[in-house]
Amino acid sequence: MQNNNQKKVAIELININKSYQKGSNKVVVHDNFNLSIAKGEFVALMGPSGLGKSTLLNLIGGLDLPTSGSVIIDNQRIDTLSEGKLSTWRAENIGFVFQSHHLLPVLTAQGNVELPLLLTALNSKQRKQHASLALRLVGMEERAKHLPKELSGGQEQRVAIARAIVSDPKIILCDEPTGNLDRKTADEILTLLTTLNKYFGKTIVMVTHDLRASEYASRVINLEKYIHDSKQNQLSAVEVNS
Amino acid sequence: MNIFQLVWVNSFRKKTRFSLTCISVMIAFFLFSILAGINHALTSNVSSNNQLRLLTSHKISLARSLPINYQQKIAVIAGVESVSYASWFGGFFKDETNQLAVLAVDHNSYFEMFDEYYISKLQLEQWKKTRTGLVVGQAIANKYDWKVGDRVPLNSSIWMNREGSFTWPFTVAAIYQSADGASGEKQIFFQHSYFDKARAYARNTVSWLTPKVTEQADVDEVSQRIDKLFVNSNGATRTTTEQVFIKERVQQFVDMAMVIKLVVIAVFFTLLLIVCNTMVQSNRERLNESAMMKALGFSSLFLIAQVYLESFFILALGALFGCMFALLCLVWLSQLFANFLPGIAIDNSHYLSVALLVLTAATLCSLLPALTLNRLTISKTLGAKA
Repeated sequence: MQNNNQKKVAIELININKSYQKGSNKVVVHDNFNLSIAKGEFVALMGPSGLGKSTLLNLIGGLDLPTSGSVIIDNQRIDTLSEGKLSTWRAENIGFVFQSHHLLPVLTAQGNVELPLLLTALNSKQRKQHASLALRLVGMEERAKHLPKELSGGQEQRVAIARAIVSDPKIILCDEPTGNLDRKTADEILTLLTTLNKYFGKTIVMVTHDLRASEYASRVINLEKYIHDSKQNQLSAVEVNS
Repeated sequence: MNIFQLVWVNSFRKKTRFSLTCISVMIAFFLFSILAGINHALTSNVSSNNQLRLLTSHKISLARSLPINYQQKIAVIAGVESVSYASWFGGFFKDETNQLAVLAVDHNSYFEMFDEYYISKLQLEQWKKTRTGLVVGQAIANKYDWKVGDRVPLNSSIWMNREGSFTWPFTVAAIYQSADGASGEKQIFFQHSYFDKARAYARNTVSWLTPKVTEQADVDEVSQRIDKLFVNSNGATRTTTEQVFIKERVQQFVDMAMVIKLVVIAVFFTLLLIVCNTMVQSNRERLNESAMMKALGFSSLFLIAQVYLESFFILALGALFGCMFALLCLVWLSQLFANFLPGIAIDNSHYLSVALLVLTAATLCSLLPALTLNRLTISKTLGAKA
């Protein structure tokens, strides 16, 4: 922990409260939640369903806003940004990898990877070059002209990772990236993510239920235990103060 | 890869749906263009640039004749420069399907007053000397291959001659051209004096008179003076400007066109709903992808622009083919109905209307998907729950 504190902070969630209305009931997902992730960390968020792992990922990625509290990424508070600015910020800073890869079925692997580059100032030739490079990094250059339906699950996920890294974001958020894959393919994907973390310095936050997947991470956060410990610390702090 | 390529691949995602929607749009624009072509025929040649010419007809109906001596009576009214007259012959050539617009006119004054018909002086003089002479429009002459000197028998569906025949012998004496081109060269004229002496009944009458007012005269005042002169006679008149008269005559056709127009508008709105439905359905099927694109950083505006361009593409493609087919069809129709309904064609302004309709329809069709995309919550749509 001390080692992490010495590093620069990439992601900081401060006093996050998140609740939503389900019918007439108010469901509290996070209550005064705090988390800090250093630059270059590979964090695995684990824990039982319903604890708010994906919600945390959405908050970090600016896909959702907290009810209260602050989300600070690279010293920039993002929960106060307008929708338009948040979109631009996402395009520049975050890469997403989802369990269902959500590739556009009408575009080839190359087309899918090129997609985020439409938001950059790159010209057509440069976009193609960047996309080819990203595909080469994930070992999919030979499948560049293939449509998603012509690829296996693992290959689709590789293309999704290529799409996530093509605009060179600082942070990659993965929501159960190996959830739909067999063991061997899952290991390949996790090795790829580890490479991106170790050799390209990407900060990776991965939500997973897979214990094996967590072995690839530099830090594993068991959310249930983390929340419990945090509350105990807060209580202790209150008692000391009083 | 750019937004247009995205629109292109997304449009052809469901080929059958795309084709059917396109065909629906095509039919709508086909009907719209055909109607425009027919409407053009009904309303073309109805304008008159001459503001000084009036038209005096029987107050009750144009079918009722007026005494020919009204010419002298009107000529002396203050503000009237000259008076001519004409009678409707109702002619056809050989077969009733070859209907012709034939008028018996005052050979002394008619072409001096109607100077939009270009006739060589020589031919005009020749015509005035030929009792049974015809002045034929260039388009008609070309169609039937008539030349000056040809003997042409014309039939009337109204007038019998003294011999008890409805077939009248004529000789082509002159051929005129019009500034309006072929559409203005479809009338035939002959001498009223011949008509009046040769017809079996209703002699010394005319269908209508055409007084021309002086440039200083007040047209309304002169019209009132003319009508006042005959107010208590059997031949009470109604005088209007030539423009008003032509518009009134065409009105019945225009009303018919209005009915057809309303029907086409109804069809068009139904098709608009079909395109709207297609766009809403297509957008709903792609909500996950739209949410993913939003997650990647694409703005709602980009996604809405994409939907708008897709709507525009379907509508523009349908409109293009609809107009093309209509154009081909109208060429065929204009040849088929050259005699009954000359002037079937698409006006250039119609294409502007089509473009405006496409743009408007594309906007309307994009509204609902745009609302959905604007409200789209990425986390909920991608199924990321707490």
